[in-house]
Amino acid sequence: MNPLSFFSAADPLSAVGPLSAVGLLLAAAVPAGAASLWLLLPRGRKNRIAGWLGLALGGLSLAGFVATGRRLGGVGEEAVFLTVSLVAVVSAAATILTRSPVYCAIWFALSLAGVAGVLLLLGAQFLGVATIVVYAGAILVMFLFVLMLAQPTGMASYDRVSSEPLLSAVAGAVLLGLLTLAIGRLSAGPASAPTTDAPTDGALASDSLATDQVARLGAELFGRHLVAVEAVGTLLLVALIGAIAVVSRGEATAADADRARQRTAVP
Amino acid sequence: MMSLLSMTSPAAPMSVLQNALIVGAILFTLGIVGILARRNLIVMFLSAELMLQGISVSLVAWSRYHGDYGGHVLVIFILAVAACEAAVALVFVLQAFGRTGRLDASAWQSLRESNLSWVVDRELPESDTVPPLWPTLAPAGVLPKADEDEPLQRKHV
Repeated sequence: MNPLSFFSAADPLSAVGPLSAVGLLLAAAVPAGAASLWLLLPRGRKNRIAGWLGLALGGLSLAGFVATGRRLGGVGEEAVFLTVSLVAVVSAAATILTRSPVYCAIWFALSLAGVAGVLLLLGAQFLGVATIVVYAGAILVMFLFVLMLAQPTGMASYDRVSSEPLLSAVAGAVLLGLLTLAIGRLSAGPASAPTTDAPTDGALASDSLATDQVARLGAELFGRHLVAVEAVGTLLLVALIGAIAVVSRGEATAADADRARQRTAVP
Repeated sequence: MMSLLSMTSPAAPMSVLQNALIVGAILFTLGIVGILARRNLIVMFLSAELMLQGISVSLVAWSRYHGDYGGHVLVIFILAVAACEAAVALVFVLQAFGRTGRLDASAWQSLRESNLSWVVDRELPESDTVPPLWPTLAPAGVLPKADEDEPLQRKHV
């Protein structure tokens, strides 16, 4: 399709073979990213040289990933997609690399904003907004609340060391390498057939910003997946009750027992 | 503007799918590295949420590619399950903190199998000796005379 793109060759082996230029680029970007993570993960006292080296390697790795991405057909689309996905990925990296857990949570909020942008670009407006509302609005605030409650004064020693940074980075590199390899081979398969199909009932319209998109999503959710929705509602209720039960069982004291005895004594 | 936001150009589907899948894979990998490497329990849970975000991006990308709402529905379920998980997990984190006084995952390594050797920190770094430099207000006006009998701060409001 596009001579600039990495993944579009017909033969899967030649598409991601180690000898193609873009394959080499990707094969360099993944270990560079892993080395950057290894250098930047908290390990005792701060090392200025390792920090700058890690940042440089991370930037190179990101540049490699950007260079191997597929062209989207328009400068505007590419710029918007690149911006939101870079925000998501860079702040996700900062989430796991920052020492202070409060800053971790704040970076995670920024990463959520980037992810919401990617979801919006993919035509999922409702999910983009729901991610911001549910994650950044509710779950993250709960995390921050617990952090403020439990964080000792000053930075704890276990925030300044990591367990097995080298092995973790290597595991991440292996996983990411396998995933990019698999994603790169997608175009060779027969999976490109469904794009030519007309949208079926309940399917996305060709313009995904159709005015009734959310209504269709609701119809799908409460039609085909009604039982699952009920199950999820039950799960939420069970989780709520379970959390309350665990907390209150931990707090039971002798005074509570006395009060219970008095309550049963008075008929 | 509409077509820019929704990527409705005809040649897009496979490129959009692959780019979004790469972003999802990177997010998932970062989450897994965070879970493996970090020791703070709350940061570990943040990493788990990061993995869920990566999965959400991939699901929505597939949903866009195939042109149906299955991925969207699954992401809604992911949101609900993540809320449940956060509620229950934070309760357990708080209980663990109440018992040990630290948010350290290694404080619970006595729960491992008995034939595994313990993780011992070779050298725990001493805390940063230089306190952070907070901004201060410039002195202005005259310091009021404090009454010796009156305590400077009330114990209760």
